Amino acid sequence: MLHMTHVSKVFRTQVVETHALRGLTLEIRDGEFVAITGPSGSGKSTFLNIAGLLEELTGGAYLLDGVDVRGLGDRARSRLRNEKIGFVFQSFNLIPDLDLFDNVDVPLRYRGFTRGERRRRIEAALEQVGLRSRMHHFPAELSGGQQQRVAIARAVAGEPKLLLADEPTGNLDSQMAREVMQLLEALNAQGTLVVIVTHDPEIASRAQRNIHLVDGIATDLERGPVLIDPIAARRSA
Amino acid sequence: MLAYYLDLAWRSLRRHVVLTALMILTLGFGVGASMTTLTVLHALSRDPIPGKSHKLFFVQLDPRKLAGYVPGGEPEGQLTRLDAEALLRAGRADRQAMMVGGNVGVEPVRDPGAAALPATYVDARWTSADFFPMFDVPFAAGRGWTVVEDEAAARVVVITRELADKLFGTVDAVGKSVRVNDTAMRVVGVLDAWQPPSHFYDLSVGTFGVAEQVFAPFSTSVALKLGRSGDVNCWAHSVTAAKDDDWVYALDAPCAWILFWVELDRPERVAAYRDFLIDYSIEQHKAGRFERPPTVALRDVLAWLDHKQVVPDEVHLQTAVALGFLAVCLINTVGLLLTKFLRRSPALGVRRALGASRRAIFVQLLVEAGMVGVAGGVLGLGLAWLGLLAVRHQPTDYAPLAHLDLPMLGATIALAIASSLLAGVVPAWRGCQLPPAIQLKSQ
Amino acid sequence: MHVRPILSALRRHRTTAALIILEIALTCAIVCNAVFLIHSRLARIGLSSGLAEDELIRVQLTGSDKLADPKETARRDLAALAALPGVRSAASVNMLPFSSATWWSDGSVERDDPATKFSAAMYMGSENLLETLGVQLVAGRGFTHDEYVDYESMLDDELPARAVIITRSAAERLLPGKNPLGQRLYVSGKTPKTVVGVIDRLATSNEGIAMTEPSYAMIFPIHAPKIAGHLYVLRVDPARRAAVLGAIDAAIAGVDPNRSVSSRQPYREIRDEFFRGDRALALLLTGVSIALLAVTGFGIVGLASFWVQQRTRQIGIRRALGATRGDIVRYFQLENFVLATAGIALGVALAFAINLWLMRHYPIARLPLAFVPVSAGLLWLLGQLAVLGPALRAAAIPPAIATRSV
Repeated sequence: MLHMTHVSKVFRTQVVETHALRGLTLEIRDGEFVAITGPSGSGKSTFLNIAGLLEELTGGAYLLDGVDVRGLGDRARSRLRNEKIGFVFQSFNLIPDLDLFDNVDVPLRYRGFTRGERRRRIEAALEQVGLRSRMHHFPAELSGGQQQRVAIARAVAGEPKLLLADEPTGNLDSQMAREVMQLLEALNAQGTLVVIVTHDPEIASRAQRNIHLVDGIATDLERGPVLIDPIAARRSA
Repeated sequence: MLAYYLDLAWRSLRRHVVLTALMILTLGFGVGASMTTLTVLHALSRDPIPGKSHKLFFVQLDPRKLAGYVPGGEPEGQLTRLDAEALLRAGRADRQAMMVGGNVGVEPVRDPGAAALPATYVDARWTSADFFPMFDVPFAAGRGWTVVEDEAAARVVVITRELADKLFGTVDAVGKSVRVNDTAMRVVGVLDAWQPPSHFYDLSVGTFGVAEQVFAPFSTSVALKLGRSGDVNCWAHSVTAAKDDDWVYALDAPCAWILFWVELDRPERVAAYRDFLIDYSIEQHKAGRFERPPTVALRDVLAWLDHKQVVPDEVHLQTAVALGFLAVCLINTVGLLLTKFLRRSPALGVRRALGASRRAIFVQLLVEAGMVGVAGGVLGLGLAWLGLLAVRHQPTDYAPLAHLDLPMLGATIALAIASSLLAGVVPAWRGCQLPPAIQLKSQ
Repeated sequence: MHVRPILSALRRHRTTAALIILEIALTCAIVCNAVFLIHSRLARIGLSSGLAEDELIRVQLTGSDKLADPKETARRDLAALAALPGVRSAASVNMLPFSSATWWSDGSVERDDPATKFSAAMYMGSENLLETLGVQLVAGRGFTHDEYVDYESMLDDELPARAVIITRSAAERLLPGKNPLGQRLYVSGKTPKTVVGVIDRLATSNEGIAMTEPSYAMIFPIHAPKIAGHLYVLRVDPARRAAVLGAIDAAIAGVDPNRSVSSRQPYREIRDEFFRGDRALALLLTGVSIALLAVTGFGIVGLASFWVQQRTRQIGIRRALGATRGDIVRYFQLENFVLATAGIALGVALAFAINLWLMRHYPIARLPLAFVPVSAGLLWLLGQLAVLGPALRAAAIPPAIATRSV
């Protein structure tokens, strides 16, 4: 599903050149539950941004669900993002001007579903996170945990194959964090590939697989260093 | 998708009512002020006789003294009576008319026993037979006079519908007699409503809002000494105002006071007529009448109006000020929209992450800007209408012309939409260029 | 506080900063020229005519062309008018200042010398014209009875009068350093006219409009009632103006009923009408200037509010690090000052460019430098006022915001 080979990312300003990722090679398959860990500055966020097609890579190759994303234009990348990826952010990132219904509606609008289809999916997604009854409330009226559940509903309403979560419990207390994790696990059980970026060892421990990033280089904690050779990587799995 | 964008725009605008109102107001005032002044400018510089303006030419010769002659300079603005009558007789154009303005008292010729009506003083035009067909003057009844009547200084007169109605209580006044400055004259024609937007054929008596009600042969006006109005330039002595009408009337008076128009239907006739004017000047020079080398001018209607700068300076000035105002309003709207869109960067970043392409964001923001523009445009249109109403109540002679015609209505709407798009494109472009990743992190 | 951190912050908001600078520049340029135009139009409106304006009534007749002896009728008209209660004196005249009718002639100080050429507004009238108009004689004398001539006696090339009264400004400019009395001027003809008197002031008919040649008002002892179409001017007791206005028609009809009075107007009204266009333009420009300043002010408020909101956290951190409320307010004030200064610098250059363009197309003078500091000060003040609200809101941000994570 997510297949990176020698991926590098370099940020250049007039003064410095920062190597956020240095030749990252890894493969994550459909239906996995993966945690990406690492100290701050290790390239976690960059990995997530590249994986989620929010940023372009500087070097290497990245195949998302078999599609080589290098050289794709903005519209094709946006289309891929919309259809295959769902995002959950640390700070929820709900649009404050829109109620819950309209927040979940956003990706479906860009997908181009009919009105009835959108309504069905929105209601189902909110039902799944237990907030259907509050769909005409605004984000500010909700607790942090509730907001994050809406964000998850928004991420999965379009039934993406890949869910990217960036410290999804970072702003939540432990009770709320547990709820959110249960939700993500349930989604994974239904077949969605979930990738969580976190520095919380407890969260990481709940994943099937941990990938540790240090200075832009990945180590698979359970299977040893991520192999450079993708075929070898597949064999070892 | 457009419905979605319209809905989003509407919500966004409603959330910041004060800011939205401010943007719409500034845009509206900018558009309104510009359209008011542009409409006045447009009305004042309109072709007064469309379809024919390129065929009618104003004739100028230069019979003045050699003193003050500048090579390539402008010839005298009007003709002497001698030259005007010579050109009329020569008849080298398809049509030609000499003319001068006047002001006379008119009253119907009464039965001896009827009560005395006070004379009505009206503006008059003393001209020659071709005047009516040349300027497409419409008749409600009767006709203009003939060349024969011109030559005979016949006591004939053409009056307007309005005057006929006032003097006789009917438009059907042909054959009746009117007393013009104490001389009885026969009405041969009654004009239908005729009011060209500017008094282009004689600017010396005023440019806008001037209308004659009596027309009679020039020869008759001379014979009866009916008086004249307009400019007189005499060069035999230096008093610019004539000291006595009798003296100016003399055929050989060194005074220019007559206007001369010709109709030339084909372009080659124009060159030929110009050559004729030069030949005439050379001939007069040889005869010792003209002291200056041949200097002539032959301008068509629009060139003549342009040369005389009929549009008042303050109208140009007002237009420039209004356009400057619009520019500031536009920059202001661009700035406000830009800050508004950038303020929403996080939400835009989320949309990008959820699959909105740059184009989708651009269109979404442009729709919002467009909404402001349409509202501003509608307001501007209303304000322009009010502005023109105010102009029409100004005590200026061009006030009645300040109307919003169809082309200007279209131009107003186009200006409003163009302004708002212009104001929206830059902020929308900047808004859709925001890198989504940064916006998601730094909330 | 230093300007450098402000500049580097502005560099990060190039587009918005550039927009506000451009807006201030355009506003400054337009307001600069508008204020100048308003000033010059108001100066025109305030021009003195030199007449006893509040006491004068102008009377215009029609139907005089049928008169057998226009001069004698005029004499009888004036006698009848002067006899009306409330009328102090009455005279015939060919024109009044600030009206559309104009009588002009070329003149020169030295005969046929183009270097000393000028143009003269020719006032002519009956014998008590000076007292009626209320012009002040400051040197010499009025015309004597035998200096008066008839306009109709003019020979082809010569204005018949031999004497002339000129204004003080004409005397100073045309005959500098000389005693004007007894000097000769060539106006309308080859025979010189001798200056017999100097009056303090008399406006030309269209004074205030830029002319190609210097122009001066001059009075000639010429009776010209016929050619002027029987134009009379009455000097009245202002308290009895209304009564006089009501009695004029009957007085004229009493002399010869075949004429009628086409207009009778207090001079103030004539003057107001003449300057109506100037007043309208000055009003319009004032309105536009105020609107421009308001729009720009709101633009600054909008932008500053956005920046305050955007920098909320930053401001909180500054406050936490020891910045006082005053420091925060001053930061925004200084920032606005930097933007306004850039805008004003650009605007002043633009103002002169616009002025040059206007001068090429319209009779407008060069923009005096004095208008630059006025407009600049106005915009600086506007900027500071506009930014004050957002700056105070910024200062109210509590330092605790720095420790909040979201």
